[in-house]
Amino acid sequence: MPTTSLQRLLTTGVLLALFAPAAVAQVRIVQTNSQGDTISLIDPATNHVVAEVKGVPINHGAAASPDGSRLYFSSEAEQTLHVVDGATLQLTKKIPLSGRPNNISISPDGRRVYVGIVSSPGAVDVIDTVSLERVKSIPTRGGIHNVYVTPDGKYLVAGSIAGKLMTVIDRTTEETVWTLFNEGVRPLAFETNADGSTKRIFVQLSDFHGFAIVDFAQRKETGRIELPNDIPADKVDKGPFNASPSHGIGVAPDGKTLWVTSRPNARVYTYSLPDLKLLPNPVDLGGRPDWVTFTPDSKLLYIATENTDSVVAIDVAARKEVTRIKVGRSPKRNITMVRR
Amino acid sequence: MRWPALAAGALAGVMLFAPAMTGAAGQKDDLPDGDGKTILLNSCTTCHDLTEVTKLRGFYTRAQWRDVIVTMKEYGAMVDEKQVETLADYLGQNLGKK
Repeated sequence: MPTTSLQRLLTTGVLLALFAPAAVAQVRIVQTNSQGDTISLIDPATNHVVAEVKGVPINHGAAASPDGSRLYFSSEAEQTLHVVDGATLQLTKKIPLSGRPNNISISPDGRRVYVGIVSSPGAVDVIDTVSLERVKSIPTRGGIHNVYVTPDGKYLVAGSIAGKLMTVIDRTTEETVWTLFNEGVRPLAFETNADGSTKRIFVQLSDFHGFAIVDFAQRKETGRIELPNDIPADKVDKGPFNASPSHGIGVAPDGKTLWVTSRPNARVYTYSLPDLKLLPNPVDLGGRPDWVTFTPDSKLLYIATENTDSVVAIDVAARKEVTRIKVGRSPKRNITMVRR
Repeated sequence: MRWPALAAGALAGVMLFAPAMTGAAGQKDDLPDGDGKTILLNSCTTCHDLTEVTKLRGFYTRAQWRDVIVTMKEYGAMVDEKQVETLADYLGQNLGKK
């Protein structure tokens, strides 16, 4: 039977529909600017800022829905969670919170956003992303600085500076399962088992230039690693560092390396996983580093340097700087968004 | 390197020299003098830059500023109860929501 133009058109349409979603998946580095009201979106293909979210004053935490259709930001100034359309980057709703927020996290299915409330006595606010309402506040011992959902989605892990505590909460019951530490708890990074469950947590702590290692199954700290003091004394940044000389840590998505930043040394150090061996060639960052985030393919790492209003892009395999990207005022938290 | 010791040294240094400073780490600021400013420079900017405070200019009521100070006290800021109120008054008046 001869192929008609209509048939060819339909075939082309079906093929496009089948393959277009993969072709248009869009990766963006979402960089908050803690002393401004904009968030910078960086295209890792070009390492340029290609868009901005506007109108989130003193933004702190960021999260993206799994399909990238929505972004969420906490505003310290307005004590709200801002909901932003992932395509238009326009604000769609502001959700009032129970207190002053810090960092946020989202469940793997995108149904819940968790907001760390740093105001005393502390809480984790639970936001339902269908109703876009705060449906619960989970009480905590001390204000919450960072809150994470474990990669398998089973637990929340909340860190408190004031409460000097890391709290592990069962996501199903929303009850505390166990706690650890007697020091201010700062950023965390997760290493997983083959089945996706949590194997270890790497924990940055107040006034410690390095990180602690927590065995998740044993519920205990198994060691600490201090970052090298490999900078000439006259080159060491004396701060102030908010009592947090090391405030940026991440496991690459391929699970092969752990990256840890140093504010006094203005460097990032790399450790191989699972043996935690320090690898050569730390990368100089030219400023005080904060949060870190990776591209999904583990090829590039982005580190905010808050006192230079920049983000440093790093080639993960080569452990070399690729470029520095100017963003907004005092960039800190960042995430990677994939829009499908 | 012992960071608590470094922080204590920095705190002692700031307490000694704060009256001569114009702001945190020599930063210029447009904040009026007063007891609240002295507390701000002696007890807050040992741990963070002054901009971490001034960035919130115009957003918080006195009660919200007080909440921030209480959090910072829990973090270890060396302010007593009376200073909490003095600083809350100062921030409410000079950086508060209008």
